[in-house]
Amino acid sequence: MLFLQTAINGLVLGGVYSLAAVGFSLIFGALGVVNFTHGIFVISGAYASMILFREFGIDPFLATIPVALVFYCVGYVYQRFLIQLAVSRASLVASLLVTFGVALIARNFLQLGFSPDVRTITPHYSFSSFSFAGLHVDLVRLIAVSVSLILLLMMALLLAKTGFGRRIRATAQQPLAANLSGVNVPHVFGQTFGLGAAFASAAGAVLGIVQPFSPASEGFWTMNAFIVVVLGGVGSPSGALLGGVLLGLISSFTAQYIGPSFTTAMMFLVLVLMLLVRPQGLLGSALGESR
Amino acid sequence: MMRLIALAGILIVAAALPGLLPPFYVRVLELFFFNAALALAWNIMGGFAGYWSFGHTAFIGIGAFAAAHVIGWTAMAASPFQMIFGIIVGTLFCAVFAAIIAYPILRLRGIYFAIVMLGISQVVAELSNNVNWVQGDVGIFIQGWLPHGVNPEIFYYYVFGCLLVFTAVVSALIRRGRFGYGLFAIREDEDTAQMLGVPTEQLKAAGFVVSAAIVGMLGATYGYSLGYFTTDSVFRVDFSLNMIIYCLIGGIGTIAGPIIGSAVFLFLTQVVLGQLLDLHLFVTGLVVIVIVLSMPDGVMGLMSAWPWRLRGSTLAKGAER
Repeated sequence: MLFLQTAINGLVLGGVYSLAAVGFSLIFGALGVVNFTHGIFVISGAYASMILFREFGIDPFLATIPVALVFYCVGYVYQRFLIQLAVSRASLVASLLVTFGVALIARNFLQLGFSPDVRTITPHYSFSSFSFAGLHVDLVRLIAVSVSLILLLMMALLLAKTGFGRRIRATAQQPLAANLSGVNVPHVFGQTFGLGAAFASAAGAVLGIVQPFSPASEGFWTMNAFIVVVLGGVGSPSGALLGGVLLGLISSFTAQYIGPSFTTAMMFLVLVLMLLVRPQGLLGSALGESR
Repeated sequence: MMRLIALAGILIVAAALPGLLPPFYVRVLELFFFNAALALAWNIMGGFAGYWSFGHTAFIGIGAFAAAHVIGWTAMAASPFQMIFGIIVGTLFCAVFAAIIAYPILRLRGIYFAIVMLGISQVVAELSNNVNWVQGDVGIFIQGWLPHGVNPEIFYYYVFGCLLVFTAVVSALIRRGRFGYGLFAIREDEDTAQMLGVPTEQLKAAGFVVSAAIVGMLGATYGYSLGYFTTDSVFRVDFSLNMIIYCLIGGIGTIAGPIIGSAVFLFLTQVVLGQLLDLHLFVTGLVVIVIVLSMPDGVMGLMSAWPWRLRGSTLAKGAER
């Protein structure tokens, strides 16, 4: 029973991790940029939905839509004006440092604006839960996981079926060829980054209800996204889902059977082993750059 | 010849400074020596070979904890010999640890190597915090030796000063020799280097071990200078990142670059902005962005490439894979 309960907790956690990581995965896969600002997007999404909930009484799950739209624009502008500049003037690795610098600045502003305290979003239904055959699931967690799965499915459909998604995939595969076929590559890069930022902030809005957050937790979400991507494979929603679920299971089983203080060590251990054995991830195709 | 005279002059001035400056500035300079030496050690792998490690703080922690445990276990009394022994123990532990992990992790390149090092530093830190006998959570004491009647900050000023000179000499020897050329070849194009008969595997592993051992030596010394430390005081992500930032500011892959970079950055954050602790992260972030965008090759790059070149930096060449 304990085993099943742990598994369910892990799956629920994993669903949310997947949503939090899918934007990172998209940006990494399509642009090759390791976006250290990712955690900031997630945490800012959580703060934005907290404000919307407290000031206007908007339900955090509904808040994902306006938050995602705003962050789409933020991501687009950020990529076109700063990251593009860093990549063209220095290198891809240098762009990583730029995103890191931006993350530090944003974290500083979040600390000044919202104080370094740990916050939660607590709508009226946040303490209701239900039991089924002796297993316990919180209502919010169940909704959060459903919203995550719906959003992941939407992203998968968007990438697979629409012209917009086709342009993104074409640019990710071969920017030069896409450009020759009439795709405005810098614009698509901006859009892809915007999409990644939008999903990250939407994940933040959902996460705010499930887990407490503070400006300092941005580092956790960036690393989490990286682990998910390494586990599952770069650039695809299904890879992010698999990686997220695995990560959720790893952390809940470690917390239950080894000890809560060992979860981070275990997550990173799996990350290191995974990179050594199969750096392209479980579902990914081999990335030439990794070795 | 002029350079040698200038260097000798700098050394003499540095040796005389603690008598003239107030204790706060002696502390700042001590911090500068420590950080500059760390950046130089990182530079052997990150700058010469182009393998950017995001987790070199692992070696600071391993060096410090190894020294503290071995000293505590042998129950040696504080003496100069005990201190040198502790530092050598820290150095050796890091060298052995690096040699063990070198083969598997050096098969990874670019960002994957960087992240795997970050992961390793996190795992080691978490384990030292949670495995009871390491005592990372409650902290561990290490009894250092202090000459009679000398202030600790002045003593450690000279200790870290000597270590910085040592690290700079080792770096310069590597850079001038066959070893350094091999590492540069790896940075420029590893596959071609391998094809032309450069023993890339061995060179990378050797560079990694040297870099780790020097950081371990500094870490053990840092442990002595603290006297009492926990996981959080030696396994710090900002140590890892600062090493990279100092090298970037000064000029990656050079000898003077990391030293200049840490001098500039520490002067900015410790002296100029010492009062504005609230904005520390902001300033760090801003400096990183401005440096990467305005001078991808750092201060040294600017000096060697006058008038300013706008494109095609060696940083870009080194990192393009």
